[in-house]
Amino acid sequence: MHRFLSQTRLPAALLLAWTAGLFPCEALGQQAEIESLRALVRDMQQQLESALNRIEQLEKERAGDSAKVQQVEKSVAAVRGAPSILNPAIGVAIDATAEHRAKAGGDFNFRAAEIGIAANVDPYARAYAFITGSKDEVEVEEAAIVTTSLPWNLQARAGRFFADFGRLAKFHPHEYPFVNTPLSLERIVGGESKADGIELSYLFPTPLFLRATLGGYNKLGAENERLDETRSRAWSRFTYLGRLQSYFDLTDHQSVELGASLAYTPSIRLAGDPRSGDRSLGGIDITYRYQPLARTLYQGFTLGGEFFGNSERVERASGFKRVFAPGGYAYGEAKINRAWSAGFLWDHAPSLSSPGKKTIGYSPFLTWWLSEFNRLRFQYSYLDDDVREEKSERGHQFFLQWTTVLGAHTHGFRTR
Amino acid sequence: MRAYLERCGKILCVVGCLLGGPAVLEAQPIRIVTTVPDLADMAQQIGKPLVQVESLTTGVEFMHAVPVKPSFVPKLNRADLLVVMGLDLESAWLPALLEVASNPKILPGQAAYVDCSVGISVVEVPRGLDRGEGDVHPKGNPHYNLDPLNGKIMARNIADGLSRNFPQHRAAFEANLKTYLAELDRAIARWLAVAEPLKGLKFVSYHNDWTYFANRFGLRQVGTIEVKPGIEPTATHLVQLVEKVRQEKVPVIIYGPQSDRYPRQLANQTGATVLRLQQIAGGSAETKTYVGFIDHNIKALLAAAKKGPLP
Repeated sequence: MHRFLSQTRLPAALLLAWTAGLFPCEALGQQAEIESLRALVRDMQQQLESALNRIEQLEKERAGDSAKVQQVEKSVAAVRGAPSILNPAIGVAIDATAEHRAKAGGDFNFRAAEIGIAANVDPYARAYAFITGSKDEVEVEEAAIVTTSLPWNLQARAGRFFADFGRLAKFHPHEYPFVNTPLSLERIVGGESKADGIELSYLFPTPLFLRATLGGYNKLGAENERLDETRSRAWSRFTYLGRLQSYFDLTDHQSVELGASLAYTPSIRLAGDPRSGDRSLGGIDITYRYQPLARTLYQGFTLGGEFFGNSERVERASGFKRVFAPGGYAYGEAKINRAWSAGFLWDHAPSLSSPGKKTIGYSPFLTWWLSEFNRLRFQYSYLDDDVREEKSERGHQFFLQWTTVLGAHTHGFRTR
Repeated sequence: MRAYLERCGKILCVVGCLLGGPAVLEAQPIRIVTTVPDLADMAQQIGKPLVQVESLTTGVEFMHAVPVKPSFVPKLNRADLLVVMGLDLESAWLPALLEVASNPKILPGQAAYVDCSVGISVVEVPRGLDRGEGDVHPKGNPHYNLDPLNGKIMARNIADGLSRNFPQHRAAFEANLKTYLAELDRAIARWLAVAEPLKGLKFVSYHNDWTYFANRFGLRQVGTIEVKPGIEPTATHLVQLVEKVRQEKVPVIIYGPQSDRYPRQLANQTGATVLRLQQIAGGSAETKTYVGFIDHNIKALLAAAKKGPLP
């Protein structure tokens, strides 16, 4: 037994020793494996971070490349478009009406297609032109050069343009708040203040807007037939203009704009008149505006009017005589919402030779803005006429006007 | 003769000192005119006492329909620097004013004309221009000020414009810019943190002017009330929009200086919340500064987001 025990003790001890040695070896192996895995993960993490950095870098490079490509594309486009890239801004306004005049009948009236062209000439001037085609003719309504960098707050304009007389005379008819040119403006001024000549404006260096204009022209007024502007003549037979214009903010939402103009022609000789006489055409314009700043798209009210006075020698039954003819118009227009506005025009147009005879016009109108560039207008007019010169200027009249604008078509500060 | 000339010289010196002396002793501040209050706030922060800043708009206007007031003309006439948003945001009214302002140095392209859109990554640049697509912005979406990160570029442009025109004050402008950018950075970090709940928030806006803001804070625009930019909605479009808002469970309808008529109509039919947010700073004491204005918009959106999506 002892022998057995002594014989078995050795292998047991050996087994015990082996077992005791085996487990630490196994633990050590696991530890190493863990360490190895950790190192692997760290390595992979580093590789992943490196890959992410590379992706980020590539994305940046791609963005840079994309920007470069865009720049190259732009340059290529610029080179390709080089012949036209400096072309002026071009726009077209189309103005047509369907009309019915009680005393004259109906008409589809293609009033005008007006091509507007404008661009800077150089750092010192810009130029613009408006070429208008109507059912009667095609004419250059305006083609003028305007300085942009004269010193001392001066600005010069030369060529053919709408002279700085009054307010509405400087509007092209498609920009009126109503359908027709007021008869008072048409008879006294001659419609738009179209003139060939030169103008110099001065902006007073005051906190208040105050602007003065002096001008000299062949004649003033699109329908003015008193002088033949195609021939050279004495400087006394030209028209000279002075205008002073100001503006006051009554509140943030309300303003008043005032202007006074005088156009003087020293000498006009009428056919059959033994002596010449001067012509004075004066005008006072006033415009009140209510424009709630936060709601200019939807609300607003404008009350505007002009008073004109014309003094010149005219032919009457009793012979040639100096006559003063006063007239004018007033209108109000309210914006109902973004698309609709409504207004009323009152017009007092005298006969220039017999101011006692006059045409009084009453015209409610309604405007529907389909968009900023597309407009329909309905107008009814009643003209109480005792001048009896034109059939179309009396009685009941109905108008439907459609005006659209294509491209860049703007008349700038004067028609705000 | 010599004595006479000397006497004349002395008199001229005295007159010169009398006329020019006060100007030298008390330098006139640099007159900055900005088109929007955001830029006025930044210009003031960067120019500090060296500048006198005035914004032409007050913050309540619709930027595409700002009245062309002649009272802006004398301000532009006397301006040493004109700071604009650019990207044609002011194209409806600023060119007409510059036409008569008689101040060639602030005309586009000149050194004193500071266009803050320079360096902005402009979004929604149209590939083609056609008014059939509405009143599109040819140079891309101009409402970039709604992303506060763009605020940093705007401020940098103003500082550069000031330094370009008044290099003698460059150090002061740069120091003030650094301070302002640090303030803006702190605000941006705060906004990005607090605006976390806005991520994925669906909204409908009146006009397509919230893209920059949505991109920055992770909002999702589902539609616009306008059929196309500048074109009022038709009945069919509104019906479709109501359906879309219901389907997508859009909780917020955003409008700005437009009428609240259509947003409210849409809200009444869907249960969404109507929010009047500002496109530019100003309009109230709370939104007088650029930081205040962004703050105001984020707070308003967060309050609306708390209500959660529509059931």
